[in-house]
Amino acid sequence: MSVKSKIFAAMKQIAEEQKVTLPPLEDDLPLNETGFDSLAFAILVARLEDELGVDPFTVAEDAAFPSTLGEFVRAYENVPA
Amino acid sequence: MRNVLITGGSRGIGLAIARRLAASGDYNAVAVARRESGELAAAIREAKQRLHFRACDLAVTEATSLFARSVRDEFGPIYGLVNNAGIGTDGLLATMHNSEIETLIRLNVLSPIILTKYVARQMMADGAGRIVNISSIVASTGYNGLSVYAASKAAMVGFTRSLAREVGRVGITVNAVAPGFVDTELTKSLDEKDRRRIVGRSALRHLPGVDDVASVVEFLLGEGGRNITGTVVTVDAGSTA
Repeated sequence: MSVKSKIFAAMKQIAEEQKVTLPPLEDDLPLNETGFDSLAFAILVARLEDELGVDPFTVAEDAAFPSTLGEFVRAYENVPA
Repeated sequence: MRNVLITGGSRGIGLAIARRLAASGDYNAVAVARRESGELAAAIREAKQRLHFRACDLAVTEATSLFARSVRDEFGPIYGLVNNAGIGTDGLLATMHNSEIETLIRLNVLSPIILTKYVARQMMADGAGRIVNISSIVASTGYNGLSVYAASKAAMVGFTRSLAREVGRVGITVNAVAPGFVDTELTKSLDEKDRRRIVGRSALRHLPGVDDVASVVEFLLGEGGRNITGTVVTVDAGSTA
C-alpha cells in the first residue's frame, strides 16, 4: 500500500470513529474542509507515526502545518530518512 | 497488564508510586530516571518482573520523542503516565542564579510537557489513557524561598486543566496531585524548626508520607478514577485546610 493510500485509510477510520463525513479526498482539498478538527488531526498524526514510523511535523524545523490534503500527503512522502 | 511510566521513579514519591503500582498486580511499572538508585534496584528485585528501570535524562528534550517510542516498542501501549520528576532548588529569587532558575523551569515544566506530548499521542492513537502530574500545595499557597519552584508547580496545574479538556474526548484523563511537605530528599533542606512549624500547622499534626501520595495516584489510575479529570487532589494532612 502506498503512503497516500495508508493516509487515506487512516483518515477514513478516524472519520468513522469521530462520526465525521469526509468529502471526496482530492489533492487540492483544504484540510479545514475535511471535517476533521484539530483533535482528529492529532489522532491521525499519532496513528500514522505508529504505522509509518515517522512524524514529519516533529522532524520539520518550522512549526508550519500543511493547508491542503496534497501537501499533507507530500509531507509524509518527502520525509528525510 | 497496563504499562505505567513514572518519571523520577528512582527515589522519593516516584519510587513509592512505582513500587505500589508494581505490587498491586494490575500494572507493569516503568521507573524513569537518569540513574538507577540502590533502593530502586532492590525494589526491582522484589517486584518479580512488574517493575523496570529505563534511563533517560528528561532535561534533554530533543531525545524525548525517541525515548517515548522506545518504551512503547519494548513494553507495548502506555496506559498511564505519572509526571513526578522534579527538582526543588530553594533560595531567594533575588539571589538565585539565572542558570538555576532555568534548570528548574526546564526540568519541572518543559520536560514533563514534552514527554506528555509524545506519550499522550500514543494514548490518542489507542483511545485511552491516564495522566497524573505531581504538583504541590505550594502552587496555591506560598512559601518563603520557593517562588520559582512554586511557579513550576502552578504551571503543572494549568497544564493539567487545559490538557484534560483537549484529550477528554479520546478517553484520556489528566489530573494533578498536590502533596504537602512530604519527607523526601527534596524536603531535607528544611531545618528542624521549619519542620515543627509545618507539622504544627497541619490539621492532622503530622506530615503525609510518600505512600499517601502513591495511593492517590493508584486511585486515579484505577477504576475509581475513570470519571475524574482536570482536577487537583491535595494530600497534605490538612496543612492548607
